[in-house]
Amino acid sequence: MTAVTSKNGGAGRPPGEDLLVETRGLTKRYGGRITAVDSLDLAVRRGEVYGFLGPNGAGKTTTLRMLLGLIRPSSGKARVLGEKPGSPEGLSRVGALVESPAFYPYLSGKDNLRVMARYAGVPWWRVDEALMEVELGGRAKDKFRKYSLGMKQRLGVAAALLKDPELLILDEPTNGLDPKGMADMRALIRQLGHGNRTVLLSSHLLGEVEQICDRVGVVRKGKLVAEGTVSELRGREGLLVRASPLEEALYIAARLAGVEEATVVDGALRLIVDPERAAEINGKLVSAGISVSELRPAEQSLEEVFLELTGRETI
Amino acid sequence: MGASFSAEFLKLRKRPSTWVLALVWLALIVLLGYILTYATFASIPEDAAPPGMDPDAFLQTLYPENVLSNVLAGFSSAGGGPVALILGALAVGSEYSWGTLKTVLTQRPSRSRVLLGKVFALGLVLVGLVVLAFVAGATASYVVSRLEGVAADWPSAGEILRALAVGSLISAVWTALGAFLAALFRGTPLAIGLGMVYALLLEGVVGTVLVSNEDYDPYRKFLVAENANSLINYFGSAAPEGLGPPDSIVEPTRAVLVLCAYAVFFVVLAVLLLRRRDVT
Repeated sequence: MTAVTSKNGGAGRPPGEDLLVETRGLTKRYGGRITAVDSLDLAVRRGEVYGFLGPNGAGKTTTLRMLLGLIRPSSGKARVLGEKPGSPEGLSRVGALVESPAFYPYLSGKDNLRVMARYAGVPWWRVDEALMEVELGGRAKDKFRKYSLGMKQRLGVAAALLKDPELLILDEPTNGLDPKGMADMRALIRQLGHGNRTVLLSSHLLGEVEQICDRVGVVRKGKLVAEGTVSELRGREGLLVRASPLEEALYIAARLAGVEEATVVDGALRLIVDPERAAEINGKLVSAGISVSELRPAEQSLEEVFLELTGRETI
Repeated sequence: MGASFSAEFLKLRKRPSTWVLALVWLALIVLLGYILTYATFASIPEDAAPPGMDPDAFLQTLYPENVLSNVLAGFSSAGGGPVALILGALAVGSEYSWGTLKTVLTQRPSRSRVLLGKVFALGLVLVGLVVLAFVAGATASYVVSRLEGVAADWPSAGEILRALAVGSLISAVWTALGAFLAALFRGTPLAIGLGMVYALLLEGVVGTVLVSNEDYDPYRKFLVAENANSLINYFGSAAPEGLGPPDSIVEPTRAVLVLCAYAVFFVVLAVLLLRRRDVT
């Protein structure tokens, strides 16, 4: 497990921390052979925007569906806002958009929200507020089937906001949107995540998670393989060294005091070491007869971390 | 429950297919029950009628005094039954095919409340449709009586209320069957397809075949159509002798109980299916 600073929120969690979502060994199996979610321990703290990152098919949507009570876990436990997933008490404080937004095509956007408001037991005037919040007021009377994908996504977010929820669960909210739509949606999510509201955002888009999320959990084949802030996930700082001959440079660098790890990545040395020691390391390599053509501070991109953690699966 | 009912009723009220089905049902009752019969028999001169056929006897079935039995005949497994079945299948099945079930269930209500709210909203819509069917039948029968120059002799208010209740109960069974099949198959097409096969083939054709052999009477007693016919026959057959439905072998009280049991059974099964299964 490379570049992981903390894993499985439970172990290092401060006592009494306010967790809005907590799972313990959450597992979902289909038949005897497919394990979609495998002993997942997840912890989402109040007020944070938590990114649930993983390649397609990693078990993100299945996990969110379990948290919302849409599907039952095969084993393990989950609490959402202190309640059993799917309980009316819990759902009354949760807003959710799971996968593609699904509404009644023959109803207008506003009527769709009126229907959802009645189910949710919220006052009718919240419908207009929610429509305004996602900037859909001008098209509220159009039929849902006439909406563009971006408008459908925004209506989905509006439905999730009807209850003015403490916890917002959004599953791939920018899926299928054009670049402007994605930017608008991200800005909206950032805005929604301000204040005391907690957002659990599932995504396979690294840039999205990097831009929006306070903390990230990386899931692979149903297992949480890493959890931390984006900077934590990127790992410790280091140096990138282009030197020749490379094998000899690796041999020498790996034995220098203070170098915690030395690896060859894409024809260059990658050293986990305090970047302040760049001059010293350069001197030692040069004095050993190594020619150094480039030496600079380096940190892993989130994409590198992600690919490393998820086994370079297609994203 | 009230919140779910209110949401479901809004959806049904604004759904075009609800109104299309209502129009189809009304058209079936007015067209098959009145217009075709009237067009056929009003134009036959008495002396040109085939031997043994009295056109006046047929026309008499269209008069206001026979409106209840004539309209209720349109609630059979080959008429209003399939329409009611489609209504139930669409109301439940579309939630699966549009994916709206997950949107609804993440709002707040429990699964049972969602389905029961839907059932009560469908019930209200059905009562409305049944009332409209009788209004359409009454209008058509009044027009026929005026055309034929006979006085309109209407059934009593008590009989009308009983007929409305019977029509609503028969439709409710078909609607509940449609809702159950849609929950079972998690969609609309198979539910409507199999429901139609059941209504038209099993209840209609097989039921008619079973009539010819008394050995099958114990089984006939459990067919929806047989029990429905028992209640429809309670209002008397408007058809000339020998051309009406066969005598029912089920007592009306028992028929009410059997139909109520079917409606409750289908609804309970649908609730259990919705509660136990994952929503994917």
